[in-house]
Amino acid sequence: MGLELLARVRRTSLWVGGIAALIIATYAAPRAGLSVFAGTAWSLVNLILLERLIVALTGLDRRTFPATGRAIAAIGGLLLLFVAGWLLLQRLPATLLMAGFGIPFAVIVLKAIALLVLPSRAWRRFTRTPWPAVAVVVILAAGAWAVSNGWSGARSGPATGPVAARQAPGGSEAPVASEPAAGEHGGAVAHGGEEEKGPEKFANVLTVLARAFPDAGWARWLHHYEVIIFSLFIALMLCVIAMLATRNPQMVPGPLQNGVELVVQTLHDFLVDILGNKYGPRYVPFLGTLFVYILAMNLFGLIPFMDSPTSSLNVTVALALVVFIYSQYIGFRELGLVGWVDHMAGNPRSAIGWALVPLMLPIHLMGELAKPISLACRLFGNIFGEDMLLVAFASLGITVMGFTHLPLGLPLQLPFLFLALLTSTLQALVFTVLSTIYFLLMLPHDDHGDEAEGHTQSQHAH
Amino acid sequence: MDFHSALGWGLPVGIGLAAIGSGIGLGGIGNGAMQAIGRQPEATAKIQLAMIIIAALAEALTIYAFVTMFLLKGSIAG
Repeated sequence: MGLELLARVRRTSLWVGGIAALIIATYAAPRAGLSVFAGTAWSLVNLILLERLIVALTGLDRRTFPATGRAIAAIGGLLLLFVAGWLLLQRLPATLLMAGFGIPFAVIVLKAIALLVLPSRAWRRFTRTPWPAVAVVVILAAGAWAVSNGWSGARSGPATGPVAARQAPGGSEAPVASEPAAGEHGGAVAHGGEEEKGPEKFANVLTVLARAFPDAGWARWLHHYEVIIFSLFIALMLCVIAMLATRNPQMVPGPLQNGVELVVQTLHDFLVDILGNKYGPRYVPFLGTLFVYILAMNLFGLIPFMDSPTSSLNVTVALALVVFIYSQYIGFRELGLVGWVDHMAGNPRSAIGWALVPLMLPIHLMGELAKPISLACRLFGNIFGEDMLLVAFASLGITVMGFTHLPLGLPLQLPFLFLALLTSTLQALVFTVLSTIYFLLMLPHDDHGDEAEGHTQSQHAH
Repeated sequence: MDFHSALGWGLPVGIGLAAIGSGIGLGGIGNGAMQAIGRQPEATAKIQLAMIIIAALAEALTIYAFVTMFLLKGSIAG
């Protein structure tokens, strides 16, 4: 019971500390948020080590060798922790560190009060109908509004109006649109004015870092290559999942192996259905990986403080170029050079066919070149447009709530998150299916000759 | 009318025109697919696959207009 309560306290404190640090980092200074979070983390580690020490000293096996070892390890950890705390106090503001340090204790006190209050008879009478609680919430919200109005009015003066309360931390004019308190989608909107890229997007981890350390070279480097870092991270994640799922295959699969097998089997059946039994299995690994990778990249932007790499034209062009080069390679390998030229010329077998070669050859060549462009632009446009839609509605929700001067907003982008789920899946599917069909067009078709002969025969008949 | 204001008028109108065109196209695709499914419900999977591909091709035209808008948006303010 006691240890379980402590575990719950740890979890709650981590959440509270993280959210408080994010709000402070957005509205005051990134460094202040970092201090609060460091204080919380320090306090939590301290609590964990103390708990370990007490358990090791008072547990049932306290006289045995491993318990003594654990106690000594905990004491050593505590000493290290105090050195780390001294270093933190040297570098970060002490008041904010102390505030973060107090968060777990505040959580413990509140939990204890809740344990006392919740079983009492007064509380049960209070919660019998929902109306008293609604009244209390309304009174609290009105009170918070009044207090914060007075506060921001005193700070910025009454003449400047609602814009003054929400200026960017650096003092520039770009309004910082923050996250609704529920936290569906990450953080503040990046400044449009400072960056050379025009449109604003949701801030991700790396832009937040770059804003926190505007002078550091490594932060700028991370911000500059954020798309590549995110896509590499996703690829690594998928690799790890695949390795974990296939490391120890069982006849009766566990949940992870079962899920991965389901995905692989579905993709295999789907792609072989299009490509045919002869050539299908050879290209399933490439195309299936393409689908899973693009889907993961599309969905990654819906995680708070993450960004979809596919909402950058660089990534989609790279993917489309890979598909283009591979399909040309397939054409050369399966058809040979002469066969490839023949394919590009429209398989001329009759006098009319040869007469049309000067027309068909450039049309086919331009069609081949148009394929990667259309693949890249379609994926980029859809994912980028989806991001822009979410940003637009999130800022609209904040503008609507602007009169309260609170860092809150209506989660107006909520319905569009589901739309984003749909478009992400659909665009990954479309990219994969179109690549499959480009491969299919390059492969030698068994029924091609018969079809051509059928056409000529019917032409003769006419 | 100078270049910037011409662009400022033309970009939204262009996106709207592209959206009208692909909207009509998507309507036709959906109409055909639904009729085909109604006539042959057992071929639903194949029809849906083809419908999604063609719908993506039709929808891409609006997306091209959208991308063009974002590429040229910086020049409006000029």
